[in-house]
Amino acid sequence: MAERSDDDDTLAVFFDAARDRPGDLPDDLSARILADATAVLSARTGRAPAPPRGWLAALGAALGGWPSLAGLATAAVAGVWIGAAQPVALEAFGLTAGPAAYELEDLMPAFDDLASEG
Amino acid sequence: MPVTMQMPPSDSDAALLVAFGNGDLSAARLLTARLGPRVLGFATRMLRGDRAEAEDVTQEAMLRLWKIAPDWQQGQAQVSTWVFRVAANLCLDRLRRSGRSVPLDDAEEPQDGRPAVLAAMLARERAAALDAALAQLPDRQRQAVVLRHIEGMGNPEIAEVMDISTEAVESLTARGKRALAAILAAQREELGYG
Repeated sequence: MAERSDDDDTLAVFFDAARDRPGDLPDDLSARILADATAVLSARTGRAPAPPRGWLAALGAALGGWPSLAGLATAAVAGVWIGAAQPVALEAFGLTAGPAAYELEDLMPAFDDLASEG
Repeated sequence: MPVTMQMPPSDSDAALLVAFGNGDLSAARLLTARLGPRVLGFATRMLRGDRAEAEDVTQEAMLRLWKIAPDWQQGQAQVSTWVFRVAANLCLDRLRRSGRSVPLDDAEEPQDGRPAVLAAMLARERAAALDAALAQLPDRQRQAVVLRHIEGMGNPEIAEVMDISTEAVESLTARGKRALAAILAAQREELGYG
């Protein structure tokens, strides 16, 4: 290993100061460098690189793409239909009695006297 | 004692370059963030503070890197070494063309009484004073000193960048440091390191 000279001691604080000032890359220079990279890539592949995707496209991709989205839409429509359609089959079994079929004492027998006294 | 600093893993640089060569533009973004600031700082010092020219050199060096990416062989060299070599040659070409080059043959012992570069903060003063002193060195001495003591490269890597022997690197850095020390000695008390 080389001996440490007086020059090393003299210069150490200067080199430290220079290293402690990390350089930054101006945004416009960074953009120019990346534009070059894009151009080089385009020239080589003969097509432009794919532009960055929007959040909607990214969400669709995360869910599995268009086939999965089609399935999801079908399931949603089916759910709405099942919830909104009249349950005819249950009526046939007499299980769809409306509110008029019950009196207060059926539901809360302890309150019957109180209710009749007004 | 050798001065070392944290360097980005060179194998990752190579992997990123290969990824870019395979069409991955995000790899170029990472490489730009890693190498761009270092190359710009180096070129700025090589060109004696000419920031606009240093930016042009940085862009050109990176452009050449993008172009060579498809042919890059892992293990053939460090990406940073390759880029610094290109940047150094571009800087030397510009210095020669503009007549600002200081060849080694013309190197003289530094004169006393160089004007100090004053700044508000002590660290900035020191860094600025160093840059001003570096600007007075012959090009090859400046290149070797910056790569060794600011970029933290080892002598073999510098030899590869400069296309000279490691002995020549040691000689250049020793002479460069001697000259720098003489230039900066006048500012010893003022900059608070004496």
